[in-house]
Amino acid sequence: MRKISGIAVRSLPVIWKEYGWREALEIEMSLETEVEALRKVPLFRGIDETKLRLLAFISDRTEYPSGERLCSQGEEGDCAFIILSGDANVLVDTPDGEKTVAQVSENSIVGEIAILCDVPRTASLVAASDMDVLTVSKDDFLKLLKEFPDISLEVMRTLALRLERTTRDLADARRGAAGS
Amino acid sequence: MEKSLFSFIWKYSSRQQLFILMVTVLTYPVVYVLLELPKLIVNDAVQGDNFPRTIVGFNFDQVPYLVLLCFTFLGLVVVSNGLKFYLNVYKGRLGERMLRRLRFELFQRVLRFRLPHFRKVSSGEIIPMITSEVEDVGGYIGEAFALPAYQGGMLVVQIGFIFMQDPLLGLAAISSYPIQGYVIPLLQRKVVLLSRQRVRNIRVVADKVGESITGVAEIHANDAAAWHSADISDRLYENFRIRYDIFNRKFLIKFLNNFMNQLTPFFFYLIGGYLVIQGDLSIGALLAVIAAYKDLAGPWKELLSFYQMTADVSVKYQTVVENFDPLDIYDTSRLTSDDIVKLGGDLTFDNVAFSGGAAGQEVLDISLNVPEGRACAVVGPDGSGRSEVLQLAAGLVSPATGKICIGEHDLDKLTDSTLGREIAYVGGAVHVWTGTIRDNLYYGLRHRPLVAPEREGEDLKNYKRRVSEAKETRNPIYDRAAVWDDLDAAGVDSQEKLDEKALALLEAVSIDKDIYRLGLQSRFDPSMNDAFAEKILNVRKTLADRIAEEPALSGLVELWHPDRFNASASLAENFFFAVPTDPEITMDQVPELPTVKTFLSDTGFDKKLQQIGLKIAETMLELFSNVSGDSGLLGSYSLITPEELPEFERIVRIAKSDQQRPGLSDADRTRLMGVAFKLVPARHRLGVMSDELKDEIIAARKQFLEEVVSDDEGFVAFDPDVYLPPLTIEDNLLFGRARVDRRDARRRIDDVIRTVVEETGLRHPIIYAGFGYHVGVSGSKLSAGQRRKIALVRGLLKNAKITILDDIATGMSEDDKALRKGIREILDGKTFLFGTSHVEIASEFDETIVLDQGRILDKE
Repeated sequence: MRKISGIAVRSLPVIWKEYGWREALEIEMSLETEVEALRKVPLFRGIDETKLRLLAFISDRTEYPSGERLCSQGEEGDCAFIILSGDANVLVDTPDGEKTVAQVSENSIVGEIAILCDVPRTASLVAASDMDVLTVSKDDFLKLLKEFPDISLEVMRTLALRLERTTRDLADARRGAAGS
Repeated sequence: MEKSLFSFIWKYSSRQQLFILMVTVLTYPVVYVLLELPKLIVNDAVQGDNFPRTIVGFNFDQVPYLVLLCFTFLGLVVVSNGLKFYLNVYKGRLGERMLRRLRFELFQRVLRFRLPHFRKVSSGEIIPMITSEVEDVGGYIGEAFALPAYQGGMLVVQIGFIFMQDPLLGLAAISSYPIQGYVIPLLQRKVVLLSRQRVRNIRVVADKVGESITGVAEIHANDAAAWHSADISDRLYENFRIRYDIFNRKFLIKFLNNFMNQLTPFFFYLIGGYLVIQGDLSIGALLAVIAAYKDLAGPWKELLSFYQMTADVSVKYQTVVENFDPLDIYDTSRLTSDDIVKLGGDLTFDNVAFSGGAAGQEVLDISLNVPEGRACAVVGPDGSGRSEVLQLAAGLVSPATGKICIGEHDLDKLTDSTLGREIAYVGGAVHVWTGTIRDNLYYGLRHRPLVAPEREGEDLKNYKRRVSEAKETRNPIYDRAAVWDDLDAAGVDSQEKLDEKALALLEAVSIDKDIYRLGLQSRFDPSMNDAFAEKILNVRKTLADRIAEEPALSGLVELWHPDRFNASASLAENFFFAVPTDPEITMDQVPELPTVKTFLSDTGFDKKLQQIGLKIAETMLELFSNVSGDSGLLGSYSLITPEELPEFERIVRIAKSDQQRPGLSDADRTRLMGVAFKLVPARHRLGVMSDELKDEIIAARKQFLEEVVSDDEGFVAFDPDVYLPPLTIEDNLLFGRARVDRRDARRRIDDVIRTVVEETGLRHPIIYAGFGYHVGVSGSKLSAGQRRKIALVRGLLKNAKITILDDIATGMSEDDKALRKGIREILDGKTFLFGTSHVEIASEFDETIVLDQGRILDKE
């Protein structure tokens, strides 16, 4: 038994047996689970616990049944999706219609670029199974950054690391291309 | 209108005034005997001898005589006070009636002003004139004749008594009167002038305040508050200065009066003393004269203050009335006449000229002819005289020279009863009245009461009284409760048909969707229309079935279910599972209701809720304590507002400490409960709602239903089979909540509701329910476009022979084009004038008149 906000919660399988999955989910549907998920997102790795809780609280928790569309390619992106459970297909428009190019699953963040700058969605996202998603809206995230500049630093550090890696990969690729 | 107050009073209340005088005279002997009787009791009954006394043949011993006199005294006290009471009530009633007559007359005169006159007067000035400025007149009218007569009579009698004692002393007694009679009016005249100034100044203040309220957005937008403040402050200083001057003079008059009155005894003592010493006057007579003179002071003072009041009230009356007497005022018959002339034939302007429109716009020498039944565009930019020509054609303003006729009839000679019914005019600046949409739509059909309501018993008595009072004061006796909607004029034979016709017109001007939306948001009383409630309940069932059948929908809504916890609804809704009957009471206020409070403390649930509230407050503090108030995060997401944060910090600190004191106050506990009740579990995800807790809430809900809701008129329980009047129609249709944890759930479920509503034919009834929507002050709850369209439908619904639209639907968009086409179809075969500033539009019409600089440029 572990405690969530002071209330005893039995382990998930037990509840599942007693009440069915919906109830089990609902009990798990508390901030703590969301914080756990957020912690696993690289972009938020350096942010401390209480601020992650705040981010989780101001984000929307949304369910998507299998087949429902989370976002469409080309539309203005205004939020990032953090998948708490389930999988989604990433689809791209081709002359022959939409094609699945990848699948994203639990604990991954999709569309995070959209919460930092204005870019259209580069792909569509469709739920491949019943999903539970945390939606972080751009406005709220930016407000949070303004409020806590140390978060900005963390995000910047992560982005810089990513940029450095991309640059190195690019250089490697060039070298590879030049070498061949 | 009567120029002076006294001619007004005499003209309308001479009979009553004479009656008051008569009754006043009647009280003289009673008062006299009342004053004499105590002397008789003391001197004759108590101290007298040689009993018995004989009165009208009966003999009385001393004690019975005393008793008789005392009872006579008692009787006279009753009679005298009774008379006084009766007289006061009579005077008060007369004053109120006269006031009502005056006020109505003033209002009617406002209605009789010609339109251009309203450019010179403002409502800010007119309103205080009709309401507060004439108020004093009412109180004065009852006294206007009785007081001077009574007090004057007293004065004459006293002076006569003094003269009888000694003519010289009599002269001394009145020696100061000529001076007072000369000086006081002189001072009073100045006061009158000042009073006029004061009234005018206050009117300007009222006007400025009114203007500031109308233009408050401009004040803020231009940071002009300082300018307006300075302006008002100046006016208020002016007011102070005038009033101070008035006080000075008023009290100077009082001072002079008192001084003169006390100066006279000086002469008495000097002249009277001399006469007594000389032996020309007895000392007794001198004392009597001095006593009589003291009695003079009372009536004299009364007369003086009456004189001051007369001056004051007369000034008020005059300064009001002079504003209501413009030379060119319409005859009363223009408003009250019931003659309806059926207008037919061509509309012709014959060398018409008019000046004094907006911005001094002139119309010069216009001659034109619009054949009957044709649609004619009147084209001209603003300031070309277009609006003036259209208003002239509607008979709203009169030409300076020339003649405007429809068929044979000169518009200037027709009354409102013809112009307002046979012609429909909708100008650019429409007015929507405070009231419901229905009131506004049918406004053009409400000319006179048509079908009187049936009244009986108390109601009938009240009505008769109302009518007789109206007759007393020359007010109209139109019955507000009657049916006013003129169905014949609209060309229908029943109220239902009228609604249908209005709906058809609303669709034609495409405002039906807006009204539908308003209808969904409105509440209606199922006792008025059972069938409609029944239908709504059917739709609710259909919706529930459809939601149950389609998995795509079932995930979007959580319906109210007595045995289930609704995670998308607040804890309060889940707990009470009922709504207050009075829609004004919000869910937040429910825990404050006494019955609910008792229930919560009896069941001990208040403690549990406080625990939940405390837990939420803790989490909120933890999450938001470092967030600044102005970031907007706190406002939009927290269950606690930034202002409340310090309060809750204190509450949590106290609750956490183990000390008994100071402990939480009742207000603190209420606050905690309030936070708990606001929790929407699916949105806030704080993890405080365990299954046990949900079960407990559902159990408590049942208990609450049994113990409180079932026998409390103040609540209606959520019941899937019952229509809930306090909820909007929309909430009654969808008996649940759109899930907050599904994207676009609200919009998607709205679409489903719309389809079901349309399938079941409920759309029209809902629009009719929207007719009952209250549009706010002057339609402030509607958009400008909606107001125009409602005014347009109002005009079209009149079904008039001639329809005149000015600056309505004159855009070049497809919507406006379709709208114009629709209007032309509706008005097919009727004379139709359409004012616009776009020349392109003219081609849509049979005829065109182009105006420029107040002249006709072109005619086709």
